[in-house]
Amino acid sequence: MATKRVAICAVAQHKNEPDLWYRRFQNMLLDVLEDLQGQTGFKYGEGGVEMIVSTSDDFFDARTISNNGVTDVIGGQYLAEEKMAQEGLNAIGYANAIILSGHKDLVLIMGHCKESQGESRNMITNCGFDPFYGRATGLDYLNAAGLQARAYMKKSGLTDDQMAEIVVRSRQWAAKNPYANAQEAIPAGKVKSSPMLCDPIRQLHAYPVSDGAVGLLLASEERAKEFTDKPVWITGFANCMDTFFFGDRDLTSNFALKNATEKACRKAGIQDLKKAADVVEVMDCYAYQQPMWMEGLGFCGDGEGARFIAEGGPGKHRVNLSGGTLAGNPLIIAGLYRAAEATLQLQGGAGDRQVPDAKCAVAHSTNGPAGQFHSVLILEA
Amino acid sequence: MAEFFGTTVADIFNTMPKRFKPEASKGVDVVIGYECGGEGGGKWKLTVKDQTAKIETVEGDLGPCTATIMASDPETFIGVTLQKIGAIDALSQGKMRVVGDTRMLMTLLPQIFVQYTVPEKKTEVTARGILSAIGDRFRPDKAAGVTLKYGYDLTGEGGGQFTITIADGTCTLKEGLDADLAVKMTMEAATYVGMMTGTIDGAAAFTSGKVRIDGDMMAAAATGKYFDKYVDPNAEEAEELLSLKVVTSINQRFATGPVMGKWFAGLREKKLLASVCPLCKRTLILPQEICQFCHVRTTDYVELGPEGYVTNFDLVYFASPDPLTGEVRDTPYACAWIMLENATPEEAFAFEIDRKDLSKLKIGSRVRPVWAEKPTGSFRDILHFEIID
Amino acid sequence: MKKHIKNRNVAIIGIGQTTLSSHKEDQNQVEMVSEAVRNALADANMTLDDIDCIVHGNMELFEMQFQPDMWHALGCGSYGKDEYRITTGGTVGATLVCASDSLVASGQYDTVLCLGFEKLQEGNTTGGITNMADPLWFRNLQTGALTSTTATEMIKEFGKERVLRAAMKYRIMIDKHAMLNERAHRRLGLEYDQLETLMETSPQLVGELRLIHMCSQSDGACAMILTNEDRVKKGTAKPPVWIRDHETSHRGENMSNLYGAKKPKSTHRDCAEKLFKRNGIENPLEYFDVFEMYDPSAYWGLDWLREFLLLKDDEVLNLMEAGEFDMDGKLPVNPSGGVIASNPIGATAMLRPAEAALQIRGDAGGHQIKKEVRHALASGFGGTLWTVMLMLEKELNW
Repeated sequence: MATKRVAICAVAQHKNEPDLWYRRFQNMLLDVLEDLQGQTGFKYGEGGVEMIVSTSDDFFDARTISNNGVTDVIGGQYLAEEKMAQEGLNAIGYANAIILSGHKDLVLIMGHCKESQGESRNMITNCGFDPFYGRATGLDYLNAAGLQARAYMKKSGLTDDQMAEIVVRSRQWAAKNPYANAQEAIPAGKVKSSPMLCDPIRQLHAYPVSDGAVGLLLASEERAKEFTDKPVWITGFANCMDTFFFGDRDLTSNFALKNATEKACRKAGIQDLKKAADVVEVMDCYAYQQPMWMEGLGFCGDGEGARFIAEGGPGKHRVNLSGGTLAGNPLIIAGLYRAAEATLQLQGGAGDRQVPDAKCAVAHSTNGPAGQFHSVLILEA
Repeated sequence: MAEFFGTTVADIFNTMPKRFKPEASKGVDVVIGYECGGEGGGKWKLTVKDQTAKIETVEGDLGPCTATIMASDPETFIGVTLQKIGAIDALSQGKMRVVGDTRMLMTLLPQIFVQYTVPEKKTEVTARGILSAIGDRFRPDKAAGVTLKYGYDLTGEGGGQFTITIADGTCTLKEGLDADLAVKMTMEAATYVGMMTGTIDGAAAFTSGKVRIDGDMMAAAATGKYFDKYVDPNAEEAEELLSLKVVTSINQRFATGPVMGKWFAGLREKKLLASVCPLCKRTLILPQEICQFCHVRTTDYVELGPEGYVTNFDLVYFASPDPLTGEVRDTPYACAWIMLENATPEEAFAFEIDRKDLSKLKIGSRVRPVWAEKPTGSFRDILHFEIID
Repeated sequence: MKKHIKNRNVAIIGIGQTTLSSHKEDQNQVEMVSEAVRNALADANMTLDDIDCIVHGNMELFEMQFQPDMWHALGCGSYGKDEYRITTGGTVGATLVCASDSLVASGQYDTVLCLGFEKLQEGNTTGGITNMADPLWFRNLQTGALTSTTATEMIKEFGKERVLRAAMKYRIMIDKHAMLNERAHRRLGLEYDQLETLMETSPQLVGELRLIHMCSQSDGACAMILTNEDRVKKGTAKPPVWIRDHETSHRGENMSNLYGAKKPKSTHRDCAEKLFKRNGIENPLEYFDVFEMYDPSAYWGLDWLREFLLLKDDEVLNLMEAGEFDMDGKLPVNPSGGVIASNPIGATAMLRPAEAALQIRGDAGGHQIKKEVRHALASGFGGTLWTVMLMLEKELNW
């Protein structure tokens, strides 16, 4: 019989940096790999890791088969290596399935991305729109978010002041996270007066350009004890796709996130996620996304996000104690950073950010324009 | 045969059986006589009965008919049939006469026959014809700065030998094959016509040996660039394909990192450096952060070569364009796998061989790098490897 | 070696392909993938409601579309469903089948649809391929997809005349198979008596690699539906084809260390050894009834047959010369015409298990092998010579 459940044994993070001009991916990943090997003592080959799921993107790397350059470092020689070509949290969902299927009992996940390499990530995300119409209108993920932000602010009543508050809080927590990028404390006034990128999104509402890498070691229940005495169990994972054209979507409905949350909770046997979760890590690229995704995860009602913020929801529910993506993660692996923080919390390794006695955590990520696609991971200690 | 409006009277009658609609002639029982005067005219009799139509030419008397149509000349007859000349006008001018039930004719005939239309003229397409008009399709703007002389040796029926010379923005065609052609393409004339009119897949023809190329293959591939596409005169007008061409360009800053950086720094000093695996001792070239076989970080470097010997090579006749510049290298060129001195047996180094040495290049050739005069720490620091005699 | 335990069995129950062509200007990407998906659903007699999860993958820089599964959502049928996007270069099609197998076997999903596609005409293929190499060094060498290094190695070992003839025989054999497959893209109608002429007249690309030896490019898509054993027991439209096992053997970017004084073990042989050993298969040539192998060129086809079938010395040439890879040979290879005949890169590696599955079903039409096909092998190739392999079975009896 194949295993009943899968654990994250260890995580390793490369500090998110604004411009790692002096390192290439291979250097970054080797640091992450050595950190993981130091923590777990894992080996490659028969009886050890035989499968690696990498995460990276061809556009961001400006390289076809972007994982090919790093295959050697992450251990792919004569082993199985596959690339999760969408946001990295899904690599965890996939690796979970690989181990549950019995195909392998250990899977190494290694993601990398340098947003600073290309002159503009907006030019890249513009290519995510259809070539005939979307691209020509100049749509990219930033102004797509702008459209969604405007609609969301109308629906929920989220104010400019509240968005500034979210950013200020993010910086406060990021300062306690050795892996975060934007750690400098800023006053709310500075957020509100920062240059407008795409109304209503200002520069300081947006996640800064970041370079980083993350690694995780996953194991079957039977083998987890070889690598850690603090296994973090994957109890639920699901994702969901919304439709592409904005005209077909209600940008504020959270359709995909609600769907993914419901499926993940069902698998985890959780009735009420807001009661069950001790720690929440959401992928908030822009300030408005924090309350909006919290709605989707069921921590407050539909359209209640502003109220959630006003009533101190993020503090109460321990949301983004890492600083979140607002503190700076590269787009394609932001979810892996969320999962890493969630794991550290459940292992008691979150330092100054530690939530005492944390037993259950949610890690979230989103992909595509204006949250077309969402993934939800539920972890338990 | 007398032709008016692009057709003949005879064709109208010859196509009647094809244009006849049996289902529409249920209950019809008529004999219609036709008489057309003048050169190209004649007499015809149409019998419609039991949902069949019979058309026959008639010499002499038409015999009893339900109705008879008479036209003074072919131009009138054809013109009225094609509705290019009004029937009323022809009748009132006396150029047409109807004996019998005119009204019956006017309603019945359109009912039981598909309207006659002039058949499309098929222009004859020959290899010689296509080539002799090649100048019309020449694009001097696309051939700017190009000097090229190439030939076609077309065999079989309709064949011939032709030399095309492109130079100074002009294109000339002459019969016969010059001696100094860059490339000669040999194929059956019918294959050439098929490829130009699109009925034969050019790629399949080249691949399966139906087209033989003697000389510079790249030049053969390039010839298409200098001309507008040949348009088959007989082809139906295809719906125009709107095409939007966009070149997406996003500037990048690629980092070498310290390990690859060391490689480039070594080149600046005309040194070829390799990483050494602390466990298996492989000399990894280019230097790498890790030995992928032992999964350990490398820390030491060793200098290899400069001399070495060739274990394998690719002699390239057909080059792919550089994705960054779109340029295509001159061919032939060779890329060789070189075992540099002090390298461990698997770790070859690949690089281009001096073009002057291509004819001498063999497995086992001893080679050494030729450096740029002032290496700066880039790919261009090594010009090529030359063969040591 | 640790015994391989599968949580639950998985079968292929639906296969859908689009036509292949060098110009699919009458469809956009979304329409094209939708055609493959609808064909697969029709083949399985299912609707989208039966599908829990979509698995998508391709190389973004080929069509220059960032995260194309977002735009393709409507065509893939992924709206409201779980979805994964996994890529491994040229092997992606095969990887998607392996991934779908893991997803269903895990119990997390009951029925999964995977989809591979290619629309090369919309991007710059050569740009896409050469972009694979490291930008600061290897990209400048431009060794690309065209290479005759394998031909050179084989010639070193067996002699020029014999190798050139065997490779050309392979090519003609493949074309004969393609001529039986009405869906194959390039069908030339070659005959064995053209062997010498073709050896001489087909234009040289690189060294001994001639135009005729190489695969070309096609546009098209392929979709497959996989489900679990319990679902199969409830009845399926077509006979199920069981996925017994799969494995991947990967390698990094360096091409230099492949042709040194000592050659490393190929990922093909490595993958085959692992897969066959843990399945107790000692003689793959005897065991399998068909092999759909990813063969980008005739030389690679010949060389890799030796590697995959774990043959020694010149056994592979003897078998080739004796016609044992023909439709009625000991082990028919690429009855579909393989990659040389049809190559929609993103789907090519999926077509291999798809065609192998059709053979097991008895559904392959004109190119169906006459003998019963119970055990099939499929392989995928990608990038710097890495490998994916799948084993398919007619019955659940291993």
